[in-house]
Amino acid sequence: MSTYLIRRFLLMLLTLIGMSIVIFVLLRLVPGNIADIMFDSAGFVDPEEKALLEKELGLDLPIPVQYWHWIKGLMVGDLGFSYVSEMPAIDEIAPRIPITAKLAGLALFFSILFGLPLGVISAVRQNTPLDYILRVVSLSGLSLPSFWLALLILMACVAYLGEIPIYTDTPETLWDELALYLLPSAAVGFRASALIMRLTRSSMLEVLRQDYIRTAKAKGASDNSINYVHALKNAVLPVTTIIGIEAAFLIGGLIITETVFNIPGVAHFLVEAILMRDYPIVQNLVMFIAVIVVVINFLTDLSYAVLDPRIKYAD
Amino acid sequence: MAAIDHQKELNRAGANVEGWWQHTVHLARRYPLGAIGAVMVFIFVMAAIFADVVAPHDPLQTSAAHSLNAPDGSMVFGADMMGRDVLSRIIHGARISLAVGIGSMLLGGIIGVVIGLMSGYLLGWFDLITQRIIDIMQALPLLVMALVMAAALGPSLENTIIAISIPLVPQVARVVRSSTLSLREMPFVEAARAGGMSEWRVAVRHVLPNTVAPLIVLGTAQLGSAILTEASLSFLGLGVPEPYPSWGRMLSESAAEYVRTAPWLVIFPGVAISAAVFGTNLMGDALRDILDPRERS
Amino acid sequence: MRRDFTKIGALAAVMALGLGFGASVAEAQKSGGVLQFYHRGTPPSGSIHEEATNSTSSPYMGVFNNLVMYDHAKPTNSVDTIIPDLATEWAWSGDGTKLTFKLREGVKFHDGKPFTAKDVVCTWNLVLGKAKARLRKNPRKSWYTNLESIEQKGDHEVTFNLKRKQPAFLSLLAGGYSPVYPCHVPPKKMRTHPIGTGPFKFVSLKQNEKVVFTKNENYWKEGRPYLDGHEWTIIKSRSTRVLAFVAGKFDMTYNSDVSVPLLKDVKEQAPHVQCYKGPNNVSTNLIVNQDTAPFDNADVRKAMVLSIDRDAFIKILGHGETIKSGALLPPPAGVWGMTPDALAKVAGYSTDVEGNRAKARKIMEGLGYNNDNRLKVKVATRNIAVYRDPAVILIDHLKEIYIDAELETVETSNWHAKVARKDYQVGLNLTGIGVDDPDAMFYENYACGSQRNYTGYCKPEMMELFEKQSMMESGPERKALVWEIDKRLQEDAARPIIFNNVTATCWQPYVKGFVMMTNSIYNGWRLEDVWLDK
Repeated sequence: MSTYLIRRFLLMLLTLIGMSIVIFVLLRLVPGNIADIMFDSAGFVDPEEKALLEKELGLDLPIPVQYWHWIKGLMVGDLGFSYVSEMPAIDEIAPRIPITAKLAGLALFFSILFGLPLGVISAVRQNTPLDYILRVVSLSGLSLPSFWLALLILMACVAYLGEIPIYTDTPETLWDELALYLLPSAAVGFRASALIMRLTRSSMLEVLRQDYIRTAKAKGASDNSINYVHALKNAVLPVTTIIGIEAAFLIGGLIITETVFNIPGVAHFLVEAILMRDYPIVQNLVMFIAVIVVVINFLTDLSYAVLDPRIKYAD
Repeated sequence: MAAIDHQKELNRAGANVEGWWQHTVHLARRYPLGAIGAVMVFIFVMAAIFADVVAPHDPLQTSAAHSLNAPDGSMVFGADMMGRDVLSRIIHGARISLAVGIGSMLLGGIIGVVIGLMSGYLLGWFDLITQRIIDIMQALPLLVMALVMAAALGPSLENTIIAISIPLVPQVARVVRSSTLSLREMPFVEAARAGGMSEWRVAVRHVLPNTVAPLIVLGTAQLGSAILTEASLSFLGLGVPEPYPSWGRMLSESAAEYVRTAPWLVIFPGVAISAAVFGTNLMGDALRDILDPRERS
Repeated sequence: MRRDFTKIGALAAVMALGLGFGASVAEAQKSGGVLQFYHRGTPPSGSIHEEATNSTSSPYMGVFNNLVMYDHAKPTNSVDTIIPDLATEWAWSGDGTKLTFKLREGVKFHDGKPFTAKDVVCTWNLVLGKAKARLRKNPRKSWYTNLESIEQKGDHEVTFNLKRKQPAFLSLLAGGYSPVYPCHVPPKKMRTHPIGTGPFKFVSLKQNEKVVFTKNENYWKEGRPYLDGHEWTIIKSRSTRVLAFVAGKFDMTYNSDVSVPLLKDVKEQAPHVQCYKGPNNVSTNLIVNQDTAPFDNADVRKAMVLSIDRDAFIKILGHGETIKSGALLPPPAGVWGMTPDALAKVAGYSTDVEGNRAKARKIMEGLGYNNDNRLKVKVATRNIAVYRDPAVILIDHLKEIYIDAELETVETSNWHAKVARKDYQVGLNLTGIGVDDPDAMFYENYACGSQRNYTGYCKPEMMELFEKQSMMESGPERKALVWEIDKRLQEDAARPIIFNNVTATCWQPYVKGFVMMTNSIYNGWRLEDVWLDK
């Protein structure tokens, strides 16, 4: 077990190092660099002044040297400076993380709250009208463009409530905060719960098909006791993975939702930084996301190991 | 219920149903949602193929007289700010969405199949390295990866396809690799190898065809998400550029500004995207039930 | 808190009689309150001298003072509306080459350091590139090509030495793009935390979130500003931010952010809001690469100019409200532009579109083009709707004269670099002008060597004309010459103007004392006279 853990941990590190190289090089292949963008607001590009600016930002150095500077900084917690605001990148990124974390947490909560039980119900009542309805609703959740849904929600709020639930001021009380995050997290959560529901349904179905359930049925166990006692216990395992996948998946949905609801979280910030070619922000944020995803995957594997003693750790 | 009804199982597999049409009808009865999905996808594909014939107007023809016209007899879905016919743009937009969807699915699929097949078949250091690369590709959520790629490549139809296809690769590679791992030890593969077939031919002739079923299932799921990703990229300003009438951009840009004065600009492209993705998802669900043996009861 | 109305009434009467400001005292101004704006995107920096966008100049203008300024109460900027600011008086030398300012005494920067003539010298040396400190970007260098040097005489007098007579030089100093910077603050600090003498102090900028300004309690102008501060919440999505304004989340929209079709929607949903709708002196124009084929050929350029149906553009993009113009904005909103009668005489401006296009086809046929042999060109523009939409219409119009144009959308990040490389045939571009004066317009956009003259249009005979009008006092004679120059610029397809944009700025009814300028969106945002009637 411990060798498995060490191996798994080293692979995780390797993945992150690889990611850092990929993102760093990719960003520097991007046509149009920060110097061009900074000159955009002055309405011209002057090659001489641009060269000076590139030098000032260290962009004239060879890519491996620039990469080394970045990694060296990361080791001591120095993320560099945002090109756009000329402020330390850490001061730009850190205050935005809790905002996104709260939103993601709430969305995850919603998606599990609705997705899990509906998935179980849909599996248990397989091929009944209820199952069909639930499947169609969940599929439509996966089919609506998320920004469209978010825009429709905003418009409905203005039209019927005369109020627009977008983030303009830092909320003061817990209730303010909850009210502010409720709709955006529901918008993300709708899609996410659809995914959870579908995955729960199929993993439940798989468990229900297994022989011991059939045996239990044959022995005359009541429908309810079969479904909930036997099946759910065994479906927990895949569902753990689902929630792991889900947490990573949410980040994609958050990008759109934070943009529409104007929430100043990291996901929205990432898009802006990409559009502005603000490399220090983009590379650090992307690494941050990668760390989260990789760590969640690692923890999911671990929980698998804890939950299912049958799994062997040879590979 | 414990006893397996053999006749029913055979019917389900369509073994005793004769003729293509009856087979189709049979499948449609068995999977009504899938059939609805298939019809939606069919309409969608036809619109894309025959856009030039079907579309009532030129999708790029601007007209001052028709700017923001409400739906009427000549323009059933109304006109956009530039006086272009929304219906024609949606029909031509099917072409773009399909090109992006199928293009990125195929591209991602091909790269994934090659990587998966080689890594499952050759194993050793090749497998080790590709698995690490795939780990890296999976370390970012699809939209984040596509966003970075789209920004890196710049806006064009081809680049959008590439940007969306890259994050699709790992899933395909994983599926193909695991099938390959189990198939390479199968007796019929061993036999082919013993018969003097080269390793590469064995892989392509015997192993690959047996991975097709899970690939089709995965492909339909990816088709839907590729179309949605394109819409999201367009919304964020990194999708397929003008003059292509992309659904995502029709919806996300000037359309959003006229949402109250000209709601048809927001409703129709939104419905088109949702319907297309919904159709592929419905079909994909049914295909999984039909093709994936583990899902079959 | 009972008010003595008779006293106020009497005071008002006295002031109205004495100062002739009847309107401004009709309501007693109230102090206090923070004005909430929305902003369309994070300002690129806080350093007005380094930017050419109102993303910076609108919110940050209140941080600074100029030497002289356009009167914020008068909507149309002209030489007659220039009033003192940090300079109390000014005088020209006899030959019109020396402009001397007497400076206000006792003024302090936000950091407590006194304002002196040294700061004025430093500021314009910075713009001229003569200072030790360096601006990263210097977009208005071309305005000051005639400025030889700046001299200080003691702490409160400063003289601008010009190479030749230039009466409009004062106008250049009166716009929002000419703030006085403190000498002791380095340019980098000015970008991140600007310091000035103005009514509002910069507090903070959070990217994609908010820019905050607070009242300068020690402002030199008695009783100003009324507001305790102003804040700009950044919302990128236009539909979201306009919805938010309609829902009452903001007191005021961003500068000229509401398009004509959106305005209708705003008025329908929130009939009580006040809006100024009018020209913003930002033109949509074509940049034509005259160095490479096919537009190196004057005939092809002429045919292209003739093919444009400006009324179609105006109808589609401006709902019939944008303005047909040359380079300069026509009256009444502008001061120097050609009137409709004069415009009609410029090639391609007449309403006889079919006649124009027939002429254009003749020209093209003469060059060997016809329906079977069509000219292929690329129209490049930025991947932003306000740029892209007109480009799509242009392509449609070019079809009429045997030109098949393909749209090439360019990311913002590459646009200026591409233009600088001259890697385009014809591009679609937007040009805003800081000060409604021919000197600013011609020297910035059409003069040899200007960085913002994207096409590199450079004709010695035009340079002579620019100089000739520049040396004239503002008046009918100068105007006649300016019209002549404008006409020639349009017919030469130097940068054909398609139309002058019309937009709206809206505010809630309790926002008082704000006057939107009609001929420059870069002026009139000091906000020191604005107050909230709440």
